[in-house]
Amino acid sequence: MSNFIAVFEQRQEMLLRTIMEHLQISLISLMIAIVIAVPLGLLLTRYPKAAEPVIGVSAVLQTIPSLAVLAFLIPFFGIGTTPAIIALILYGLLPILRNTYTGIREVDPALKEAATGMGMNSFRRLTKIELPIAMPVIMAGIRTSMVLIVGTTTIAALIGAGGLGEIILLGLDRGADIHLILLGAIPAALLAIALDMILRIFERFSKKAGLKSFIAMLVLVVLIVAAPLILNGTKQADLVIGGKMGSEPDILINMYKLLIEDQTDLEVGLEPNLGKTAFVFSALQQGSIDIFPEFTGTAIVTHLEDQANSNDAKEVYEQAKQGMKEEFGMELLMPMEFNNTYTVATTEELAERYDLEEIGDLKQIENEITAGFTLEFNDRYDGYVGMQEVYNLQIADVKTMEPGIRESALSNGEVDIIDAYATDSYMVELDLVTLSDPENLFPPYQGAPLLREDTLEEYPVLRDILNQLSGKITDDEMREMNYQVDYEDESAEIVAREYLIREGLITN
Amino acid sequence: MIEFKNVNKVYPDGTEAIKDFSLEIKEGELMTLIGPSGCGKTTTMKMINRLIDPTSGSIYINGKAITDYNIHELRWNIGYVLQQIALFPHMSIAENIAVVPEMKKWKKQEIVSRSHDLLDMVGLDPSTFGNRMPGELSGGQQQRIGVIRALAADPDIILMDEPFSALDPISREQLQNDIQQLQKEIKKTIVFVTHDMDEALKLGDRICLMKDGSMVQVDQAEQLIMNPANDFVKDFLGNKKSPWETTVGSIVDQQMDAIITKSIYESQTFPSQGTYIVVDEHSDYVDMVRNGSVFHGKTVRHDMTLSQAVELLQESDQLLFPVLDKQQVVGILTYPQIVAYLKSKTAIENGVTHQ
Repeated sequence: MSNFIAVFEQRQEMLLRTIMEHLQISLISLMIAIVIAVPLGLLLTRYPKAAEPVIGVSAVLQTIPSLAVLAFLIPFFGIGTTPAIIALILYGLLPILRNTYTGIREVDPALKEAATGMGMNSFRRLTKIELPIAMPVIMAGIRTSMVLIVGTTTIAALIGAGGLGEIILLGLDRGADIHLILLGAIPAALLAIALDMILRIFERFSKKAGLKSFIAMLVLVVLIVAAPLILNGTKQADLVIGGKMGSEPDILINMYKLLIEDQTDLEVGLEPNLGKTAFVFSALQQGSIDIFPEFTGTAIVTHLEDQANSNDAKEVYEQAKQGMKEEFGMELLMPMEFNNTYTVATTEELAERYDLEEIGDLKQIENEITAGFTLEFNDRYDGYVGMQEVYNLQIADVKTMEPGIRESALSNGEVDIIDAYATDSYMVELDLVTLSDPENLFPPYQGAPLLREDTLEEYPVLRDILNQLSGKITDDEMREMNYQVDYEDESAEIVAREYLIREGLITN
Repeated sequence: MIEFKNVNKVYPDGTEAIKDFSLEIKEGELMTLIGPSGCGKTTTMKMINRLIDPTSGSIYINGKAITDYNIHELRWNIGYVLQQIALFPHMSIAENIAVVPEMKKWKKQEIVSRSHDLLDMVGLDPSTFGNRMPGELSGGQQQRIGVIRALAADPDIILMDEPFSALDPISREQLQNDIQQLQKEIKKTIVFVTHDMDEALKLGDRICLMKDGSMVQVDQAEQLIMNPANDFVKDFLGNKKSPWETTVGSIVDQQMDAIITKSIYESQTFPSQGTYIVVDEHSDYVDMVRNGSVFHGKTVRHDMTLSQAVELLQESDQLLFPVLDKQQVVGILTYPQIVAYLKSKTAIENGVTHQ
């Protein structure tokens, strides 16, 4: 508990900002969903034949996993708030649409006939009789949507839209840090409850004050919430550098920014902590970001859907560079020194007891140990499959798990070895020992700036600026910098700046 | 004045709901439409405020086709009372009453005083009931509001669609009495749909009886009872007719024992005691004979009702009366006969008279 309070105090500023973002994204999405779904639902009551197909389509939209919707939207809308809001609107439509339709349809036909027979026209009947009577049902739909949207908004952080998901993702990235996850999740839940209460008050007020003032209130809320977003949206950067989730990409993109801004007049914007590799890559293709640091290995395996032809770092880089150019028209600039490849890690204690130095040394205890591998590692040739073949290992017990929880499983003693990324900061924190790979089973994963050719054509100077980092930053240096950000809560910008100054690449 | 001219309604599936219906409803008249369910009475009524449009034929209000009126203005001037009452549940009583006046752009003050008057008229205190919600009222109170809501904008015509059928018998009777009372005061043209014959007979200035989309008979209550157009009307009315209203002609004793011809009288070949009726060769009435001596007895006409006949009978000490159709004697009427007839028409069960 005291830990949680400490985390809370430390992250207060971030919490406030993300709550505001969360609120903005959720409310804007909800308002737009209402503006679309309520009139559509009303229209459907006048054309009941169209109702089933339309509601069916919105139900299908709802069944698509939110991550898939986001991935689908990036090629069209890029990253950031816009695609997030579009995805959330799609999610919010169904409950409002269905409740509006049913609410109006279920108004007692005798009341509709009375209204018509008394000489109300269709619009008056709708606003004076049908809508007020259906209002509780419609509001129930809106409230359901609201909870759905506030919940799903946490996913929006994956495409750089911000919100409380940012804190939750950070927590997941930091070895499932329960305090950080709670710090994101609890406010999200409280937000849903608070908004539900506000909506209920709205509903009661609208009953007394009538429909017009209700609509006026909605418009007012949208304006208040949307205003900062619209104002913020006006400042435009010349270049936007994106980065995947985690401290390492965050530090690297800050270095890029510092170097570019130091040596040109360009204005550089950053989009750190973008969720998945595929998201960042689509964003680069689509143009909402211009540069991001990618690994040579990932370029080959994930983007080119190929296998590394060699285990030599230089050859792998050449293969990746050529492939990216031919297939995607992208330039992979010169890689940095560090190799964030897969590695097998164990505790210092175990390593000492059995004198473990190389992966092959595990053979002697293969019947006694438990391994905690990611699903991906377990299934890849440049992973456990290859380990079995190249090092002839048959580990007695292999558990597959999410990347974020491997290190705690290891430190808890639940597993004895894990797969790890070479530069992960918890290696330092937990005093882990990495076993060397003399057979070069794992291909190199060297970081290098990836950008579209057209960006390079527009700003040819970028090549020389970014290549200054080529061959710099060793594994140890990277790990140390990651540690500073992850465990000492240093800002990525300061860590990046310090490194560049130390290396003499910038002066201040 | 409402006039239906050769109105037909055929639904897309071919069902003929209304067949060649023509009817004139006079100004200030309360016309009840009655018939078995599915006979088209409600359809007919809803054509007046154009909730249903006829397939062919026309309906006129004050000589102008209803399709020539603005549909909303037409409806503002036709009050509408529904079987389901259908007060708007989210509006107070006062707001419900104000619906049509508001659409007609009455001034606020006018609407307030109008709704006060109307509430007073049906015996509901305006200050108490005006602000209540419909759900807080009993069924009978709700339908009272339903009726005054229809009256609110002072329409010329009021349509009532089985307005009291959902109410308990006591409320129903109260509201029926209210309507009778109201109709005396306000003299609106009212079209009243019902399936309850007693209600139709009680309220209707005239009754229009329908069957299978056609009009069977339109008449005043008495005429309908006395002169049903056919067996369907008779059956539908049930034994509405009091036995006292039966015509004498239909119960006469056609035994001719007591009738003698002029020639028999002249030949004196009939018993010297007893009363006899003398007729000529055309069976026309000539005179009466009691214990051998001629006297001018009283006669009854065959189309007199039993009650009229009995009035006449009581003024005389005669025991036997000739029944005449013009001059012809069609039979005789006696007290035992009347008693026997009344007995046969009046079953007595547990002390309650069933007619």
